[in-house]
Amino acid sequence: MRRLFLPTLVVALLQTGPISQAVGGAVPKYPVDALPAALRENAHAVVRNEEETFTVKSAARTVATMRRAVTILDEAGADYATELVYYDQLNTVSYLRGTVYNPAGLVVRQLRAADIRDYSLSDGISLANDGRGRAADLRQPTYPYTVEFEYEVVSNNPLFYSTWHPQPREQLAVESSSFRVITPVDMPLRYQEQRLPEGSAVVHTQEGLTHVYQWQVHDLPALEEENDAPPITEQTPAVLTAPTAFEVQGHRGTLTSWQTLGQWTYDLNAGRDELPPAIKARIVALVQGETDERARIRKVYEFLQANTRYISIQLGIGGWQTFPASSVAANGYGDCKALTNYCKALLQAADVTAYCALVRADEPDIRTQFPSSQFNHVILCVPLAKSAKPDTVWLECTSQTTAFNYMGGFTGNRHALLLTPAGGKLIRTPRYGVAENRRERRADVYVDAQGNATATIRTLRTGLEQDDFSMLFHNLAPAEQKKRVADVLPFANFNITKFALVPGTSATVPSMVENLGLTLPNFAPPSGKRVFMSANLLSRWSSLPAAVGERRADIWLDNAFAYSDTIRIHVPAGLKPESLPTPVKLTTAFGSYSSQIQTLPDGTLQYVRQLRMPVTRFARTEYSGYVEFRRKISAADKAQVVFVKTDS
Amino acid sequence: MISTVTRLWLFAALLVCSHGVAFAQKPGPPPLQFGAVSAADFTAPAPATDSTRAEAEYLCDYGTTKIEGSNAHFQVVFERTARLQIHRKAGYRHATVRVPLYTRDGEAEHLTRLKGFTYNLQNGQLVKTKLDGSKMFRETLDKNHLQYSFTLPDVREGSIIEFTYVITSDFVFNLQDWQFEHTIPVRWSEYRAFLPQFYTYKTITYGYRPFAIEEALDVRYSTTVTTAAQGITPGTDQHITAMAQQMRWVMKNVPAFRPEPFMTTPGDYMSSIHFELAGVNFSGDYHDLTGQWDAIWQSMSTNAEFGLALKKPVPPLTAAAEALRQRFPDSVARAAAVLALVQRSVVYNDEPRLYVSQPLRHTYERHLGNSADINLLLVQTLRAAGLPATPLLLSTRDHGQVQTVVPVVSQFNYVAAHLSLRGRPDILLDATEPQLPLGMLPERCLNGQGRLADANGRWVPLKAGGRHTEYRTAQLRLSPQGQLEGTMKLEYAGYAAVAARRQIRQSSAAEYTGQLAQRWQEWQPGAPRLVVDSLEKPVSVELALHHTLNSPDAPLFYLSLLNLPEALPYDFRAESRLYPINFGMPRDHTTVITLALPKGFVAQELPAQLVLDLPAGGGRYTYQVTQPTPESVQLLSRLQYARPVYGPAEYAALRAFNARIVAKQAEPLVLKRQH
Repeated sequence: MRRLFLPTLVVALLQTGPISQAVGGAVPKYPVDALPAALRENAHAVVRNEEETFTVKSAARTVATMRRAVTILDEAGADYATELVYYDQLNTVSYLRGTVYNPAGLVVRQLRAADIRDYSLSDGISLANDGRGRAADLRQPTYPYTVEFEYEVVSNNPLFYSTWHPQPREQLAVESSSFRVITPVDMPLRYQEQRLPEGSAVVHTQEGLTHVYQWQVHDLPALEEENDAPPITEQTPAVLTAPTAFEVQGHRGTLTSWQTLGQWTYDLNAGRDELPPAIKARIVALVQGETDERARIRKVYEFLQANTRYISIQLGIGGWQTFPASSVAANGYGDCKALTNYCKALLQAADVTAYCALVRADEPDIRTQFPSSQFNHVILCVPLAKSAKPDTVWLECTSQTTAFNYMGGFTGNRHALLLTPAGGKLIRTPRYGVAENRRERRADVYVDAQGNATATIRTLRTGLEQDDFSMLFHNLAPAEQKKRVADVLPFANFNITKFALVPGTSATVPSMVENLGLTLPNFAPPSGKRVFMSANLLSRWSSLPAAVGERRADIWLDNAFAYSDTIRIHVPAGLKPESLPTPVKLTTAFGSYSSQIQTLPDGTLQYVRQLRMPVTRFARTEYSGYVEFRRKISAADKAQVVFVKTDS
Repeated sequence: MISTVTRLWLFAALLVCSHGVAFAQKPGPPPLQFGAVSAADFTAPAPATDSTRAEAEYLCDYGTTKIEGSNAHFQVVFERTARLQIHRKAGYRHATVRVPLYTRDGEAEHLTRLKGFTYNLQNGQLVKTKLDGSKMFRETLDKNHLQYSFTLPDVREGSIIEFTYVITSDFVFNLQDWQFEHTIPVRWSEYRAFLPQFYTYKTITYGYRPFAIEEALDVRYSTTVTTAAQGITPGTDQHITAMAQQMRWVMKNVPAFRPEPFMTTPGDYMSSIHFELAGVNFSGDYHDLTGQWDAIWQSMSTNAEFGLALKKPVPPLTAAAEALRQRFPDSVARAAAVLALVQRSVVYNDEPRLYVSQPLRHTYERHLGNSADINLLLVQTLRAAGLPATPLLLSTRDHGQVQTVVPVVSQFNYVAAHLSLRGRPDILLDATEPQLPLGMLPERCLNGQGRLADANGRWVPLKAGGRHTEYRTAQLRLSPQGQLEGTMKLEYAGYAAVAARRQIRQSSAAEYTGQLAQRWQEWQPGAPRLVVDSLEKPVSVELALHHTLNSPDAPLFYLSLLNLPEALPYDFRAESRLYPINFGMPRDHTTVITLALPKGFVAQELPAQLVLDLPAGGGRYTYQVTQPTPESVQLLSRLQYARPVYGPAEYAALRAFNARIVAKQAEPLVLKRQH
């Protein structure tokens, strides 16, 4: 047998053909031939069969088992041949198994225990992180092939139930995927179905003392990524699930509404806001004589920012329960829960009532229609009790530099779950729209007879437009700030002669002011009798590729904004404009744009460009109109001014 | 004349001689005392560097290494005391310290005696907050690595923090390294090594900063080794007195390290010192441990994870190799066939390693391995095919440069393969990357010299087996209405082809051409067509271009045809440069555009020809516009960088070169409508 086997393999190697079906004599699984052509189209990999089972053993324990077979069609799909199973103090991996099949569907290799790696998922940022991973790598050198992984994770952290995303990535097709949830009869499942294909709705049965909920999808073709689209998980089928009752390390709760989830979280952290008397006394002294409520809050926030720092700690129940305020007082540091709880306690000492609020930071907003644990961060919400009209101050307690009452792109424009003694309440964080997110630029460009130029440019950015620049200012030394700004200037040839980045005077939203001095050699090179220059110094917007085929996804833009540029170009004597670009004015549903150049009485050329984008969401049917809008802007932004020499 | 790359290599073989024992010198006092921070330290005068504008700085970083007797063996005791000042909030992260420890085969490094304080000046009063040692976190990173982390309490802007710890280690062959230069400024960094005469170390220094103090003193040495108990005989203490050398290195006022583009690894540029045990002499006979290649090779050839691994055949590949031997009498063709065979038999798991992780047979069966797994399999298969292949030890670009003066194994992290055929230059091969042709190493390996793993241990230059070559040809037509139309062919050869093939493999032909179309968006490209690929030819893409000039009925057309995407492939934005520019390989970018003029138009002005040379044959730019016929214009631009590495002194020339290229390529071609 062995003698026969070897030459067979050699032949296979030299021809990279399929191994003879005679080997092993097993029944083929997942043969590649059986794949419908429609599922191979645009796909790097195809999920042949996925079976996820989530079993609720009790309020305190869940078991997730997974079996997933994926056919890898090319190197870009090879990630699906690796698996990383996460575990920590509250989650245990029962087993991890893997198998490789050749294109004919025959087993070529089993994953061995020695091939599984176990390592820390230390993020390099946290002071402590108990997250670990069991990792398997079954990548193969020739395509296609199929890998199958099976694993089971037992969790004592049952606030998180599985979310089923059968098609979580672009260019991944799904032949068949199923999701089953089994719960005790007294713990019915809460779930929300999204974008399920027809006929895929839940099948709910009761088997003895358990409920069984089952979903299934099949034959989902691969999707391609589109510009300015929502994340793929917002485009493909999903089922969200959540417990009705749960228990984490002895702390029981119910989850039937935002109110109950908030109640549990509030109660878990209640009584952990006791401050040492010395700190209390300092706060009382700090706000003494300050009668204005907002000013009192500001003083406390500034105290927090000056005396604490953020340290990430990712350990077990620590994920839910805060370190006591006294610990922050002693060490001067804490994670987001600890610092927010501490700030709440400090405000209490200043006779101001504040509430912690859970939020999903830096990611798409939570699903407000489905109360469940969807959060990753905590902020502080301070309703102004003495204000004539309803008003609220919002505080980000993990940053030592964020402006007072500013959420920014991290936590603004979304929902938060306010944690009150009466339970949770969903509210909106501040909105930052076209009025807040502004960029206003004024520049003077002086061109000499040789075509070299110097420029002074002042740029004011406010709201979300200033977020990155505020980070630059606070995190880097000035020389490094200058380097970063230089890296994105759209000139091939320049020197920075002056650079200053400073916060602007405070208003309702924070601002940053950037002052630049530049020399621009060969800015307007003479060519014979003529000189060419681009009046739009810094604000070119690119066009978009047209949709290939029908646009599938809606249009999601990041933020609303308004830009304005006023550029004055001072040209030397002896040059006069031969042609000025015609003014452009566009008013569309997407936004409005205008640019025009005029000659001022003293011969200076003035270029004014304005772009307003007040809305961020559009239907997919409007995509071609949006492409056209961008194309027109792109063309107008490139307009050149041609001068002729008058003295020759 | 441009100086070549300046690098400081310092070697000190500390051969302690038995004479000179008569006189022992006394080392100076340590540069800081733990706990001795006073209010005055907060108002220390700012040094000449920009340190106070930095987020934080090391006021003093002091380390010592001693070799001491222990139970039946010697151990290394490393002690570090550091004092930093946190200037700004952005510097808070420097108050969190991570200490990685190594463990292997029952031997380990241990962290002990951790202490720390934070000092704050509050209303003129010095307030001291103690680090709670129990707040130290331990993480097992993998089976050989542990990490301890701690963070100092009560840190604010202006705080001075101080910590000290000891690492005791059983690994006498490898002393703790010391890093003088950091991403924040350092006012004083000092390392002392206290080495008894019976151990000899080689020291290797990296970086571009000079030492303020570098000295070696002879000092007295005594220690106690407890011998192991034998049966019921208890262990006994053995006192040893000898001479030792106290080595001392100091750097002062080191500015913050800032990485620059076109670098290998920051470790190649930051000042640091490393040690390797060279020999022992307990009885009067000096035993060289790593000083001679013979000894290194002896050890590697008998190592189960290297030399012995190569000896166990992998039958399926051996059989295949024999078949190839029959099929390809020509050795070069056969080598290429073996390379392709191994490339398609095994996937690289992206782990650069010097030693195999598993027997070669397992690598073959799993079809997966690290660089040693794969390239030793390649060497073995080449040999089975009758080709005299040798493993090639090297250090990858992100691992750091090697020095070639002393053979030190720990500086290597990767194995490639070498083939020596009669009458031919050295052939370098690597099977970790599919489609990499014979004679080319992956970019990550183009890093100085590699060493052949055989009895001779010859150094081999890791030269790029090709250039990075991009060649673009366009045939364009201009209509009298100002419509530019035509085709562009983009060709990638040498390392540019390697990179393009990798991108295509790791996405797909459709995604690759889609991304390319996006880069050419301004030219409204038609769907790009990838020409069928073969390894012998460049990767080639063709696309149709369309462009509309702004004023269709103007009497003159101004065309800046060379303002194409990626017209300037390398951008030198920073005004100055501290470290060499490392391109890895020579580069060559050519664009040829032929423009057919519309009827009734003539070229009014043709931009002047230009040839620019970098000093010392470093490179050339050629620009030329000609009219092969009255109805057409041809533009040619060619940019060549002849060398893989340029010194920092050449940076200004490179930057000026770029500025002139930009200006030249912006010059429009003026076409005039004849009436």
